[in-house]
Amino acid sequence: MQTILKIDRLTRAFGGLVAVDQVSFEVQEGEIFGLIGPNGAGKTTLFNLITGLTPPTSGKQFFLGEDLTAARPHIIATKGIARTFQNIRLFGNLSALENVMVAQHVHTRSGVLSGVLGTPTARREQQQSRDYAMELLRLVHLDDRAEAQARNFSYGDQRRLEIARALALRPKLLLLDEPGAGMNSNEKAGLSQFIRDIRAQFNLTVVLIEHHVPLVMGLCDRIAVLNFGQLIALGVPSAVQNDPAVVEAYLGE
Amino acid sequence: MAEFITTYGFLIVSMVFAAMLALSLYLPLMTGQLSLASPGFYALGGYIAAVMSTKVFPPTPQGEIFPLVYLLIEMLVAAVASALLAVLIGIPALRLRGIYLALATIAFVEVVRVLSLNLEITGKAIGIFGIPQPFLNKFEYMWIAAPMLILSTWFVYRLERSRVGRAFAALREDELAATAMGVNPTYNKVLSFTMGAVLAGVVGAVSAHFLNTWNARQGTFDAAILYLAFVIIGGSRTYLGPVLGGLLLTALPEVLRALAGVEFLPAFVAQFLVDGRLIIYGLLIALATIFFPQGLITPTMLKRLARRGT
Repeated sequence: MQTILKIDRLTRAFGGLVAVDQVSFEVQEGEIFGLIGPNGAGKTTLFNLITGLTPPTSGKQFFLGEDLTAARPHIIATKGIARTFQNIRLFGNLSALENVMVAQHVHTRSGVLSGVLGTPTARREQQQSRDYAMELLRLVHLDDRAEAQARNFSYGDQRRLEIARALALRPKLLLLDEPGAGMNSNEKAGLSQFIRDIRAQFNLTVVLIEHHVPLVMGLCDRIAVLNFGQLIALGVPSAVQNDPAVVEAYLGE
Repeated sequence: MAEFITTYGFLIVSMVFAAMLALSLYLPLMTGQLSLASPGFYALGGYIAAVMSTKVFPPTPQGEIFPLVYLLIEMLVAAVASALLAVLIGIPALRLRGIYLALATIAFVEVVRVLSLNLEITGKAIGIFGIPQPFLNKFEYMWIAAPMLILSTWFVYRLERSRVGRAFAALREDELAATAMGVNPTYNKVLSFTMGAVLAGVVGAVSAHFLNTWNARQGTFDAAILYLAFVIIGGSRTYLGPVLGGLLLTALPEVLRALAGVEFLPAFVAQFLVDGRLIIYGLLIALATIFFPQGLITPTMLKRLARRGT
């Protein structure tokens, strides 16, 4: 197995608060990698570092062997890292279809003139982009509402739409920030299966942040535990579950 | 008809120019950038046309009209100059957001104004006058103004439905999410800003001929606010909003004047309709933002109309 993502002593300080503190780990290709930890442990900050939305204070990051430390976010996206957001960030006034089509930006070429003039190439590209977006919407069961504005969708539908949008980027690495937030246990079971399915279908590596312990334990191949910005445990679910440092972080002494 | 054209020819062409200037402000707004730089590029385009037609091109012989080809060359030069300047200004300025970008672009408009007041080539405070006429009367400017408006409206309409337009809309909706989806924010913002600048510059070039004289009173801060009003009242979320806003609001003073001429109207009301048009303008902006926060024309409305049509 090949290392897809390597994080080397990555650190981010906000003033005196060190949100991510010397965190190092490697994610293997094809893995479902869980990232857990109490509130404020630095999980989302770590996602922001990986996707370039927040520049690191120090440390390095490699994606498929390439140094992407402090690369700009759209470059990182182009390299094949897509994400969803904890507090959903869809393009509210655009339709579901347009939301997904935007994420194919880097895979399409047509510029201002060819787009405005509607050259055959631009039109073909537009059609392909639309077809692929519809396919992804079908995958998340939103194809019947492709033309509806994203902001009118229910919370759960918005979460699914965000995943479809992330997939449209054709990523190699997918970062899911609390994909199960606000779902009941039935829906969460369905989500587990869905994540396994898309991993197989799109050859993905998945890193996910999740609070619901049974979901994480059942789904992830390996788990990293953060507490106060530091990596306190890393390993297979059963090992992490019984790690005294993890138990202490969650339950106190 | 002939009388109508002599009376209203000037107004109708002004309306068309206003619609295009509103579009020039709408273009950067497509990526969510509130830029008030349009009047600066409008002034620049005007000076280019004024200088070229009075100092560069051979003087038009008595009794002949200014060759249209020259006008087209001036428009081309204005477009290129505006584009270059827009890229130069856009790259640093578009790092600013919201009100700070608006302030920076106002500063640009002021710099253009003060420069043109003091430079020899722009005629200092007097400006440049006696700009030759490519048409026999003001209304004939429609030969160039109308195709320009149709072309620019069609351009923006098509742009909104293209790949680049979608990237613009994504940036406007949520810049952070758009970049995380691979949209290059700087490139697209500078692109939309530059397209707006080119449109304003070209309109300026034609306006210089249309107005016959060009000076530092063209393209000031007031004009920026006026164009912004066209966009806000017309609608800032679809290409039709600024076009309609520009057309209607430019006609408004004349409509008020006509209303004032209605019989049996008390004298003070008639007086107010004519002299108080700036107050009425302000009132309209305030009322429009309260009752039509998205402007008169909204995308939802267009969709509903389209559905009824089919």
